[in-house]
Amino acid sequence: MDLKKIIETLHPLERKVLPALNEKTTVQEIIDATKMQEVEVLRALQWLQNKNIVQLTTETKELVLLDENGKEFLKKGMPEKKLLNTLKEKDVSIEKASSAASISREELNVSLGLLRSKGLAIITKDKEIKIKITDKGKSAVNTQSPEEKFIQKKFPLELNSLNQEEKQVLETLKKRKQIIKTETQKQTTSKLLDLGIQLQKQGGFEKNIIDQITPQILKTAEWKGKNFRRFDITIDTPKIHCGKLQHYRKFLDEIRAKFVSLGFTEMKGPIVETEFWDMDALYMPQFHSARDIHDVYFITEPKLEQVDYKIIKKVKEAHENGANTGSTGWQYKFDTQRTLRTLLRSQGTACSSRMLASPKLKIPGKYFGITRCFRKDVIDATHNCDFYQTEGIIIQEGLTIRHLFGLLRMFAQEFAGTKEIRLVPGYFPFTEPSVELFAKHPDLGWIELGGAGIFRSEVVMPLLGKNVSVLAWGIGIDRIAMFKLGLKDIRALFSHDIEFLRNIKLNFDGLNYDEDNKSSVNSPRQTKVEL
Amino acid sequence: MPTITFSLKDFCELVGKKLSIEEFKTLLEYAKAELEHAREDEVAVKFNDTNQPYLWCPEGIAWLVKGALGKEKEIPQLKIKKSNNKIIVSKEVTKIRPYISAFTAKGTKLTEYLLKQLIQLQEKLCENYGRKRQKIAVGLYPAQKISFPINYTAIAPNAVHFVPLGENKQMTPSQILENTPKGKEYKWILEKETKYPLLMDSKKEVLSFPPVINSQTAGKLEIGDDFLFFEATGTDQNAVNLSAVIFAQVLQDRGFEISSVNVETPTKKMVSPSTETKKIKITKQQVQQLLGLELKDTEIKQLLEKARYTFTNYVVEVPPYRQDIMHCNDVIEDIAIMYGYNNIEALPITTFTRGETSQINSFISTIRQLLVGQGFQEIFSAILSNKMIMQQKIKSKEEIVEIENYTSQTYSAVRNNILPILLETLSENKHVEYPQKLFEQGIVTKKKADKIIDQEILAIANSHSTANFTELRQTIELMLRLLGTEFKIKETEHTSFISGRAAEIVIAGESVGTFGEIHPEILANFGIEMPVVAAEINVEKLFEKIKNREL
Repeated sequence: MDLKKIIETLHPLERKVLPALNEKTTVQEIIDATKMQEVEVLRALQWLQNKNIVQLTTETKELVLLDENGKEFLKKGMPEKKLLNTLKEKDVSIEKASSAASISREELNVSLGLLRSKGLAIITKDKEIKIKITDKGKSAVNTQSPEEKFIQKKFPLELNSLNQEEKQVLETLKKRKQIIKTETQKQTTSKLLDLGIQLQKQGGFEKNIIDQITPQILKTAEWKGKNFRRFDITIDTPKIHCGKLQHYRKFLDEIRAKFVSLGFTEMKGPIVETEFWDMDALYMPQFHSARDIHDVYFITEPKLEQVDYKIIKKVKEAHENGANTGSTGWQYKFDTQRTLRTLLRSQGTACSSRMLASPKLKIPGKYFGITRCFRKDVIDATHNCDFYQTEGIIIQEGLTIRHLFGLLRMFAQEFAGTKEIRLVPGYFPFTEPSVELFAKHPDLGWIELGGAGIFRSEVVMPLLGKNVSVLAWGIGIDRIAMFKLGLKDIRALFSHDIEFLRNIKLNFDGLNYDEDNKSSVNSPRQTKVEL
Repeated sequence: MPTITFSLKDFCELVGKKLSIEEFKTLLEYAKAELEHAREDEVAVKFNDTNQPYLWCPEGIAWLVKGALGKEKEIPQLKIKKSNNKIIVSKEVTKIRPYISAFTAKGTKLTEYLLKQLIQLQEKLCENYGRKRQKIAVGLYPAQKISFPINYTAIAPNAVHFVPLGENKQMTPSQILENTPKGKEYKWILEKETKYPLLMDSKKEVLSFPPVINSQTAGKLEIGDDFLFFEATGTDQNAVNLSAVIFAQVLQDRGFEISSVNVETPTKKMVSPSTETKKIKITKQQVQQLLGLELKDTEIKQLLEKARYTFTNYVVEVPPYRQDIMHCNDVIEDIAIMYGYNNIEALPITTFTRGETSQINSFISTIRQLLVGQGFQEIFSAILSNKMIMQQKIKSKEEIVEIENYTSQTYSAVRNNILPILLETLSENKHVEYPQKLFEQGIVTKKKADKIIDQEILAIANSHSTANFTELRQTIELMLRLLGTEFKIKETEHTSFISGRAAEIVIAGESVGTFGEIHPEILANFGIEMPVVAAEINVEKLFEKIKNREL
């Protein structure tokens, strides 16, 4: 390693610390030598350690320090000494002792106890209670007590460095109020490694070097003739995050844009629908099993919503006997009350049935919808009761199944990026013929992309009043989104996990995340409701 | 959607061809069915079309597949021997459950597999196609125990006693409805009736109590039985006959000889089952209009015969086991299926149309970008929510659309606001690094009296240790400034916000939204221990105001 280059990468703090290091140096010693802040020293040492210049060891130490009273006594003398000095002059009554010696009442008690136990003073009871100095006391006035000696030591003291006698003094002082305190302290010691020794020999730390470029440096051109510190650009930096569009919503935005670019106009419809638009208008017989209370969400209030009876009548006839559609119909009694029942839209095709009956419909016309649909389902990794459907219609005279297949080919290309498709006979109550579209995805193999068909005359004639070819299709958009975003759990499409949302990789046209996002799918939201 | 299981080996014998599982899977496409699973020889098949119940047995799939493979063509033969056996239908029962179809079948001994298959077909037919036995209920009996004629009649709920199938004591029909599992399951069908249907033979032996249960003595089919009696009762003559025809054809395939039963109602006499076929006319032009294929007459004939129709001069005869043909397009679809969807050459749609989406979408994109630019993370949530979050926790009295038949309380209402969802999100992410800056734009459903309308709204929440009013006001003002609108910030009172720290955004004299510091009480309701400032904006109104602004 080039020593010079290493020195050029050193931070100003490291430059200050490194020359101050001996083979073993404590942080305190470095602070003393460099007059740096402790945090600066620690940061510099940490960086030096990262570069294998020093090795740090941290040990904990019990330290003895002077407390508040201790510091004061150091300046003004110990209270017992003050009392003794007062007694040397004359005996003092116990009431006046405190003020005579200018010590507090509390200190007096402690001092008196101490002097008496050492035999330096005694108490005499006469007319009044008095304190008298003893001969031993008189000779003690001019000598220092072990306590006095102790507080004059240089603090902080390491507990381990005290001898047996000193430890005893410490114990007595600790019993007194706020003279001495002990603290556990971490002490970091730096050991200079080989590289460090070599760098010290190399020297050149004092060289004038620019760290952060400041406006000042630029203004004054003081950078001229100076070196810029080299950064170690290989070290990891902390991660940041940004505001972001939600992955699934962004995907749907792109799908919408794609349909518009293909010449489709967006259709919309209400979330709360009637059975009429959701099912009856689509020639789903009222006894159809998919209309069961186990499959569809019904609304509590209002239970019914109005629909133009003229349209209901036409649909009713188509169901009952086929009316003028060339069909026999379903041959049952259509319930005109039930058709008004409110529910949550169960299929996006509800928008298509509304469109067919709308005065805004253009022929020829191409329409699409990206709609929220709701079905009763057990929620798991592949099922949601609240999901998106993408569907639409193309209305134009003379369209045939061949055009439908042409359209599906285009969708396979646009949405799965493949020309390889397989068309399988399907069944939907509203289309005949019906087809299911499978596409061979370049990475995932055959996937079911959606269903399609040509609307039955029983659907078109009652709503439109005439028979025109209507190609209808639906694409399983949730599934494609999961493929493209590399998600394995459908619940991740509506995830509330902020960590996940911050970190999910975003898909863009032409790029699929088949695996990347999989691992980051956290367990989805499980809201507990207490009622 | 019905799913059935059967033996693949048995199916291959029915078709007369050894099939790999892959070949079998592909052939299922003709039946609009998919393979659910295959375990050794057992296959489970799921049907998408609920109107072709004849396919819900291996024999039925074989009729179709044999046509597709060219092994057989046109309508399969069904030979029915005439007999003098009779069912007498009483006047009373015609008011309750009027129709009955029946036959007897004599032949080989029932194997365990065949018995299982017959029960499976019976169940699927009655549950799915028969609307849980209301429209059709089917019974099978060992025929040697029955003495004709049979009476199909209606009796008072406690008029007879018999031991129902699977029970060990005599009960009246009324007791059966109250005390047996089947009785409880199908009670609803007879809810409004004062008399109940009953089948009884000439020796007064009860055969069954349709549509609920057979008798233990006369109505229990067992392995080894080789003489069967079949009956179907219901409310739809065609559907009842269809069931009889399907069963007759299945049993004929299994080596049984089918004999008719004469049904005598108070008004007419019929031979059951009826094998009369439905005839439907199609034209070459109709075929071309739907499929865009120019097929020759002979090709159309061949394709329809493969699909098991009989074709004579554009009159198409439908096999009696099919009731799903309502329109000529139903027949024409079968031409396309037999031609092979993947053999049909696709055509592009060349008509030019201009694509469009609503103007508000572009406005919404702009708003979302402005918030992302300020470091807000977009949230996208379920629309289904609950009153706990939308009303109780947020202390809102705003009406909400509720679901009557919800499965989980969590999803029992339609959201009428988004802000509570953001607060819920914050409460679920307390361990995640702050600041947490969130927004969601989306549809909510507002309910006022009996009016329900969807509305595009926006909610913003910013949460960190020093989050405050001023900070959010800056965000809002920046957004409105860049959208190019004049606005006023007015003091307001709002249950979600601290009094004196809540504001209304007013444009041209009308409020388009509110924002402020979320009240600690609300935060406590959501279990949030970090200050939150939040806004709620009616995007539709804001859009309208900005669109109509005076320049």
